[in-house]
Amino acid sequence: MTQQVLNAIFIGSIYALFAVGYTLVFGVLDVLNLAHSAVFMLGAVITYSLVVLHGMPLLPAAVIAVLVCGLLGLLIEFVALRPLRRRNAPPISALISTIGLALIFVAIVEQATPGTFFSWLWQDGANSVRFPAGTVPDPTYHLAGLTIEGTKLGILVTTVVLMLVLGYVMRFTQVGRALRAVAENRRAATLLGINVDRIFASTLFVSSALGGLAGLLFGLAISDISPYIGRDQVELKGLAVIVLGGMGSIPGAVLGGYLLGLIEVFALVRFGGNVEAGVAFAALFLMLVIRPQGLFGARLRERL
Amino acid sequence: MARGVAFALALLLAACGGSASTGTNTSNSYQGKTIQLGAILSLTGAGGVYGPSSKKGMDLAVEKINNSGGVNGAKIALDTRDDASDKIQSQQVAQTLFQQVQPLALLGPTLSNSAVAVHPLAESLKIPILAVSTTGINIVPNCNAPSTVPCTYVFRDSLGEEAAIPANIKVYSDMKHPKTGVLMVANDDKFSKDGGTIVAGTVGQYGIQLLATIPFPKATADFAPFVTQAVQKNPDVIFITSLGNIPANIMREARKQGFTGQFLGGNGFNTAAVSKAAAADGKGAESGSAWYINNTFTSNAGFVSAYKSKYSSDPDQFAAQGYAAILILADAAKRANLTFSDAAGDRTKLRDAMEKVSIDTPLGPFQFTSKHDVKQTIWVIQMDGNGGFTLVKSVTPS
Amino acid sequence: MDFFVQLFTNPVGFYNAHELLIAQMGINAILAIAIFVTFYSGQLTLANAGFMAIGAYTTVIMNTYLPTPLPLDMLAGALLAGAISVLVGLPVLRLRGVFLAIATIGFVEALRLGVILNIPITGEGQGLKNPSPDPLGGIVPILISVPILTYLVWRLTHTRLGQAWAAIREDELAASSNGINVPVYKMIAFIISAILAGYAGALETHINFFIDPLEYSVTRTIQILTFAVVGGTTNVIGPIVGAVFLTALPEIVRQFAAYRDVVNGVILILVIIFRPQGIVGRGGLAIIRPRWWTRWRTRERAAAAH
Repeated sequence: MTQQVLNAIFIGSIYALFAVGYTLVFGVLDVLNLAHSAVFMLGAVITYSLVVLHGMPLLPAAVIAVLVCGLLGLLIEFVALRPLRRRNAPPISALISTIGLALIFVAIVEQATPGTFFSWLWQDGANSVRFPAGTVPDPTYHLAGLTIEGTKLGILVTTVVLMLVLGYVMRFTQVGRALRAVAENRRAATLLGINVDRIFASTLFVSSALGGLAGLLFGLAISDISPYIGRDQVELKGLAVIVLGGMGSIPGAVLGGYLLGLIEVFALVRFGGNVEAGVAFAALFLMLVIRPQGLFGARLRERL
Repeated sequence: MARGVAFALALLLAACGGSASTGTNTSNSYQGKTIQLGAILSLTGAGGVYGPSSKKGMDLAVEKINNSGGVNGAKIALDTRDDASDKIQSQQVAQTLFQQVQPLALLGPTLSNSAVAVHPLAESLKIPILAVSTTGINIVPNCNAPSTVPCTYVFRDSLGEEAAIPANIKVYSDMKHPKTGVLMVANDDKFSKDGGTIVAGTVGQYGIQLLATIPFPKATADFAPFVTQAVQKNPDVIFITSLGNIPANIMREARKQGFTGQFLGGNGFNTAAVSKAAAADGKGAESGSAWYINNTFTSNAGFVSAYKSKYSSDPDQFAAQGYAAILILADAAKRANLTFSDAAGDRTKLRDAMEKVSIDTPLGPFQFTSKHDVKQTIWVIQMDGNGGFTLVKSVTPS
Repeated sequence: MDFFVQLFTNPVGFYNAHELLIAQMGINAILAIAIFVTFYSGQLTLANAGFMAIGAYTTVIMNTYLPTPLPLDMLAGALLAGAISVLVGLPVLRLRGVFLAIATIGFVEALRLGVILNIPITGEGQGLKNPSPDPLGGIVPILISVPILTYLVWRLTHTRLGQAWAAIREDELAASSNGINVPVYKMIAFIISAILAGYAGALETHINFFIDPLEYSVTRTIQILTFAVVGGTTNVIGPIVGAVFLTALPEIVRQFAAYRDVVNGVILILVIIFRPQGIVGRGGLAIIRPRWWTRWRTRERAAAAH
C-alpha cells in the first residue's frame, strides 16, 4: 500500500507538471491550447534526438529542448491564436486551430523515418523508444521494501520547485502582476498601458517551455517516447487535472495533479483496473457539477 | 545500383528454385497482362508501427517477382492505401479500391478491429482477402460470427494468437514448470483483449494458477501502480497482452520494482522496436512468433538479405508476413488459369488456388488449413536484451 | 485531385467507388445537425459521441437478442439516448461555455471507459458484431434521413422554440427577463441533439459489421465539433457543409500519402483563420457581433416569441 501511495505521488507529479502549462494559457488567454500535448511530446522527442542521434550530453540537450518548445509556443501564438484574436473570432475557433497544429506536429514525428526529411529529428516513425542505457542517469533506490525511482523523484522535486518559482513570479514580480492584470480584465490592462500581445506571447512561451520540460522528464522517467505520448497518455488526464484544481489556477493544477493520482491509484487498488480507466472522467464530471470553479478557482469565467 | 540489386535478386531467385515465379508450364494468356492487387494498411496513426513494415515486405516481393519475369509473364501491380488506423476509413478504402482498380485480391487490413469490419465486406463482394498482420479471434474462417456461415474468401497468413500463445506457454511450462501467473491485459482494444482471453483459457492446462488479472487502459501515463499490483502477488510469470510499446514499459517497471520472474506474451512482443525499448529489462521475455530473423533456410535468408539491401534495415515479422502474402498470391495466381476478362470468375479461381498453396516462404513451409488459417511452424523466441531475439524452440504444426 | 476528376468525369463510377464515404458523410451530417441544435441554443456541448454510443449499442444489442424489427431497434436507440440526455443534462446544463464542453467530454469518456468497458453485454473492449449489417444498402435510409432532418431542424429554428433558442444564445439574461424559461428550452435543445446523435449512431451500425468503444471517444466528439465550427453555425446548412467537406478531406488529400495529416492540419488552420465564422454564413457565434446588434436582435426575437 505504501508503494502505491508513492506511485500515486509520482503520477501526480507528472500530471501536475503537464497541467501547469495547460492551465496557465487558459488562465491568461481564456483558450484551451490543445497543441500543448504535442509540445509535451516534442519536448521528449527533441531531447531524445539531441542525445541519441546527435550525441549531446543530457543537460544541454534538455536546455535546448525546453527553449525550442518555448519557441514552439510562440509559433502557436503567431499562427493559431493571434490571427484569430485579430479577427475577433470566438474562443472556440482557437480550439480548432490548435487541434490543427497538434495534428501537424504529431504527423511530422510519426512519419519521420530514416531517409525522410525529418530524419534529423526522429527516425522511429510511430514506434516508441527509450534512452539507451548509460546515456541518461536512471538510478533506483530500494528502501524498506519500497522502490523509489530517481527520475520520478526528480519530477517530484521539479514540480515542487516550479510551483514555488511560478508562485513567486506571479505574485511578486512586475511580469506576474501584468499577467494577472491581463487575466483579470484584458481591456483594463490595455488601458493601464500593458502590452497585451506581448503578455500573451510570453505566456505561450513559458507555458510551452514548461510543457516541453514535462515531456522530457516524462521521457526520462517513463522511458516511453513516441509521437503519441502527449495525445494519448496525458492530454485528457491533464484536462481532468485542471478542472479538479480550478481552471486557470497554477496551485490548483498542482494539487489537482496529486489528487487525480491518488484517486486513480485508489480506484485501482480498491476496485481494479476496469474501474480505474474511467475514474478520472467521472471525477471531472462530478467536480464540474458540484463545484465548477474547482478546488482553487476563485471565480467562474463564462466568456464564450 | 538498381541493376545490381536486380541482378542479385535474379541470382537469389535462381538459388531458391521452385519459388513463386519460376514456373514455365503456362498458357500464354498471362503474357503482358497485369495482376492487380490492392492492400489496405495502416501507414499513419497508431497502426503505423506495423503497416509500413507490411508495405515494405509486399513491395519487395512484387519487385522481386516482376524483375524475374512476373507470374507466367504477367506483372503484379499493387495499389497500397492507408486507412489511418481507423476502422471506418478502412472499410471505405476497401470499397473504393475494389471499385476503382478492380483488384484480383485484397491484402490487409493491418489492425484486428478494422479486419473485423473489412473482411465481411470483402466476403460479400466475393473478392479474396488475405490478412497479413491480424492475429485476433474471429478473423478466419468465422468472419461473420456470431453467424456460423463460414467466410469462404477470407484468408490470413499471420499466425493467430490462438495458436501462438498456447504454443509459447506450453514450451515455457515444459522447460520451467511455473506454478503461478498474473495476467496484465489492455482492456480497450480487440487485439489485447483477445490475447488475454486466450491466456486465461490456456494456463490451466499447464497447472499454472492465475493469481490475478489486471486490466489497464492503453492511455495510461505510468504503469507503476498496475505493476505494483502484479508484483505484490509474487507470481512466477507475468503474462502481458498489449499493443505497441506497453509490454516494454511494463517489463521495465516490473524489473525496477524487483520482479525477477518470467515475462510471457503474444504478438505484442514480436517487434524489434519492443525488444529495443525493453532493452535489458526484457531479456528472456518469451513469445510465439510467426517468423524468426536468423532462420537460415533459403527462403528466409534470401528475403532477409534482399530486404536489407533495399531498405538498409532489418526486416521484422510484419515485413516477412507481407512478403509471404505476395508470394502466396503469386503462386495461387500462377495456378489459377486466370482469364483476365471475367473478374468475378478469376477471383473465385484464385480463391480455389489459394486453398492449395504450398510454398516456401520466409515464415517457413506455408500452407493454409481447411479454415483458411495459417499452417506453419511457430518459432518460440525470446528477447536478447539488445533489441533482438534468439530462438528457444520451434513448434511444428500438428 | 483524382477525387474531383472522377467526381466530374464519371459520377456513377465515383458513387460506386465512394458509396461508403458518402454514407459516412450522411452520418456525419446528422451528427453535425445534432451539434448545431445545441450550438443554436447557445450551448457548447460535446456529449454527442456518448449519445451515439448509446444509440449504436442499443441497436446492435436489441438486434442480437430481441426479435424486434431493425427500425424499431434504431428508434429505441435514439430514444434511449434522449432519455439518458435528461439525466446528464439536469446536472450539467447549469454550466456554460468551455466548462460545459469539458463536463460533457467527461461524460463521453466516463461512459466509454467506465461503463462500456465494464458491462459484458457490450462486448467490452472486444467490441460487438452487428448481426445484420448492410454496408451498401445502408446508405438508403441515411440519404433519406439527411434532407428530412435538415428540413425539420430548419423549420424548428423558425418556430417559437427556435426563436427562444436564438434569444438565449444572443443574451441569456435578456431572454430570461423576457420571460423565456431558459433551463427548459436549453434542456429541450439538449434532448433533441441527443436523439439526433443517438439516431446517427444507430444508423451507422447499419453500414458497419462491427462496433467497438474506440469509435465513441473524445476524438469523435471533437471531430463533430470541428464540423460545426468549420462549417459555420449561423444556420443548419453550415455544419452539414462542414461535415461533408471534412469527411471527404482525407480522401481528397490522399496523394500526400504519409503527410496527409499535415495537410489536414494546415487546411483546418487556414479555414479557421480566414473564415472564423465558418465556411457558410457570416454571423457565426454571438460573441463576434457588435453589442448593439445582439441587443437589437434579442429584443426583436423575444418580442416575436411572445
